[in-house]
Amino acid sequence: MSNRLVVWIMMVMAAWVTSPLLRAQTAAPKAAADEAKPEKWNNIPPPRSGYKNKKPSGTAPRRDISGIWDSAQSLGTSGAPEHVALLPGGRGQEGGHPDETGIAKPLPYTPAGLAALKANHPSGPGVRQVDAALSNDPADKCDPLGFPYMFLWEFRTINVVQTPRQVVMLSPFYGNYRVIWTDGRELPKDPDPRYNGYSVGKWVDDYTFVVETTGLNPRSWIDHAGRPHSDQLQVEETYHRVSLDTIEYTMKITDAKMYTEPWLADDKLPLHLMPPDFDIPELLCSPSEFGDYNNQVGGVVIRDPSQK
Amino acid sequence: MTNQLRFMAFAFGFLVLSVPLFAHHGAASYDTGKPITVTGTVTEYIWTNPHVLLKLDVKGDSGDITHWVVEAWNPVTQKSRGWTKDTFKPGDEVSAEIAPAKNKQPVGEVRGRIMINGKEFKQNAG
Repeated sequence: MSNRLVVWIMMVMAAWVTSPLLRAQTAAPKAAADEAKPEKWNNIPPPRSGYKNKKPSGTAPRRDISGIWDSAQSLGTSGAPEHVALLPGGRGQEGGHPDETGIAKPLPYTPAGLAALKANHPSGPGVRQVDAALSNDPADKCDPLGFPYMFLWEFRTINVVQTPRQVVMLSPFYGNYRVIWTDGRELPKDPDPRYNGYSVGKWVDDYTFVVETTGLNPRSWIDHAGRPHSDQLQVEETYHRVSLDTIEYTMKITDAKMYTEPWLADDKLPLHLMPPDFDIPELLCSPSEFGDYNNQVGGVVIRDPSQK
Repeated sequence: MTNQLRFMAFAFGFLVLSVPLFAHHGAASYDTGKPITVTGTVTEYIWTNPHVLLKLDVKGDSGDITHWVVEAWNPVTQKSRGWTKDTFKPGDEVSAEIAPAKNKQPVGEVRGRIMINGKEFKQNAG
């Protein structure tokens, strides 16, 4: 076959593959007079592909991470983005594995950590997924997500407010908020556990904000793949504002009871600045709505009814 | 020239293989490898958390009606796909490509193409 013919065939195949995507991206919304105006409420952030090759629009302000920041669909349905509970190539979404043997980037569990992992039955796509109605994730009963689960599952768009003594982060998913003290106080020693823990933050340079969190309630999981933590969990976050419109977000997990060494849950995850009038949609967890769902769908599709 | 061609062939081949699919959260319960198309009349459309639900009365060959429930994601995610609370109305004739429940119950998860009253409902990749 001639080279020219091969190239032509490849180009036709590529066009055939990408044309539905192009149509989807440029599809006009339903024709209605009031939908022609830009929406003021319940805004949708740009897709991840919208940032490819996008140049920064300006330099970062000093010591400032306030604003509305979007993670471009970092949904974490298979667990922390740096360690998804999937086999290489993204396979293994159907569950059926007793542990995480063979996943692309395994975690360094201690024996206690592995035992705790196996006791957690996650509902998100992954090698250990169970039918949704059989999940024992407290979050699936609308229990508080806690930290760091609130940033490792459905991160979406958060609102960061900076005051002289605090950085307050508001997350729409489950209506979470967390307070990071910047008044120089030290972390508490041996505190009563809290779902959102205790956080202090400081600027290590004009564009890098580092947060330490301790005192986390082990009742909530680390992520949607059922990764466990003990009361010894320490979370270190780095918010590196690399330009006016981008923060690179890194999260490090340290928990010697569960993991033999620290690991990164997020590694320079880009957070993108939204316009100041961006209205973040609500995504609250309602126990009664979840109950209705399980009655109509979740409980109906259980494969082995004796497990109900 | 040959090396350039090899690289182009590899790049286009990768493009063909990396077509994004709607992420399926319910892979454990649903037969995502064997999608089917259900066709029926909308009886209810519930725009709510945790999942948007579309209920269809599907007529079988012998005229019997099966009440199907088709689930999608939450309203925020569905909105990014182009859905709204008014996308479907009771009485609409709908064909939807779904992943059916593995236990053969009349429940499925939205997977792809949807037709409403004979016209394709163009969804965003989301």
